[in-house]
Amino acid sequence: MDAEAVKALAAGLAIGLGALGPGIGIGILGYGAMQGLARNPEARGPIQTNMILAIALAEAIGIYALIVAIILALIA
Amino acid sequence: MAATGPKKRRGCLGCSFPVLVIVVIVGLAILVIGFMAGPLGKSIIGDIGLPSWLSVPAPEPHLPAPALFHIFGLPITNTILAGWLTVVVLVLVSWLITRRLKVVPGRLQSVFEFVLGWIFDLCKSIAGEVNGRRFFPFVCTIFLFVLFNAWLSLVPGFGSITYGEHELIRGANTDANTPLAIAIASFVFVAFFGLKTFGISWLRQYFNFGPFFHSLGQIFRGKINIMNIFSGAVGIFVGGLELLSMFIRIISFTFRLFGNMTAGEILLLIAAFLVPWVLALPFYGLELLIGLVQALIFSGLTLVFATMAVASHEHESH
Repeated sequence: MDAEAVKALAAGLAIGLGALGPGIGIGILGYGAMQGLARNPEARGPIQTNMILAIALAEAIGIYALIVAIILALIA
Repeated sequence: MAATGPKKRRGCLGCSFPVLVIVVIVGLAILVIGFMAGPLGKSIIGDIGLPSWLSVPAPEPHLPAPALFHIFGLPITNTILAGWLTVVVLVLVSWLITRRLKVVPGRLQSVFEFVLGWIFDLCKSIAGEVNGRRFFPFVCTIFLFVLFNAWLSLVPGFGSITYGEHELIRGANTDANTPLAIAIASFVFVAFFGLKTFGISWLRQYFNFGPFFHSLGQIFRGKINIMNIFSGAVGIFVGGLELLSMFIRIISFTFRLFGNMTAGEILLLIAAFLVPWVLALPFYGLELLIGLVQALIFSGLTLVFATMAVASHEHESH
């Protein structure tokens, strides 16, 4: 494989594998929030706020992978 | 369809049906032409000879912000200019609003009263009545700066003015230095309130050498207690972990904001490049949401860490 092919492969793998964990995490978060909402619909406001906060925390890890992928694909 | 009026109005989305049909047809035509003119359509259905001004040049993102000029040897980058612009806009807006405060607020005043009141309620609900009042100014400053910064970069024409070969202004948080500066400011804020509440003993959770040397000293008095030495060593180790996690927190703050803003900008550029004109529109909506959420995350996490710093460690550690 030449260097360009390895670079493209590395960028794809970086974002692909890096999005795996946050995806699972956000799925679990949404599951928990939906279940909480179904059991206690009055608590909609706090559940929504905390869910968005936690989702953003999980999403940040995917964003790190995205930065690495962008650097690999476009700059390095 | 809502049929609440006295006369049943026909139509959808506030337009009558012929207008709606025209709007949909024009939108679809723009979408199809943009798709065929962009590189995505060209690679699928081939080049059919549309004029070249329809397509958008490929984006060339550069992560470090280029320096435009120097003042006294300090490089002034386009992201710094955007940061200054944000500050100027914020000052102007707040001057306009507070110039004539009314008891019955007008439109602009009521929007800002709602936003500030919402953050104030958030501070009070997380940090409590007294501390929420003390934390509010700093937390709200971070929120407003990050929010206006993100939303100003979405104003059309923001990144299209060029100076030399680079953009004149570019969203301040697409350079890693601005989020780093805000993160360090938030770290100093947390440390200030921790030190103010507990004095120098706030540092004991990071440099926990006391019990270890105390139990070492006990050896010379003839009382050998291995468990005390061991737990003292564990205390030192845990303090080191706390110290490390504090610096990791700064890095995480920085790259969360920087990554979200940079990724959003590159996403918009690439969407506009792949299918010109239309595909970027839904991503604009996404970016509006992301700007709000990131501002909320940054200020909310600062608030939570500050609350943890002023809360008593004795209660939480056991």
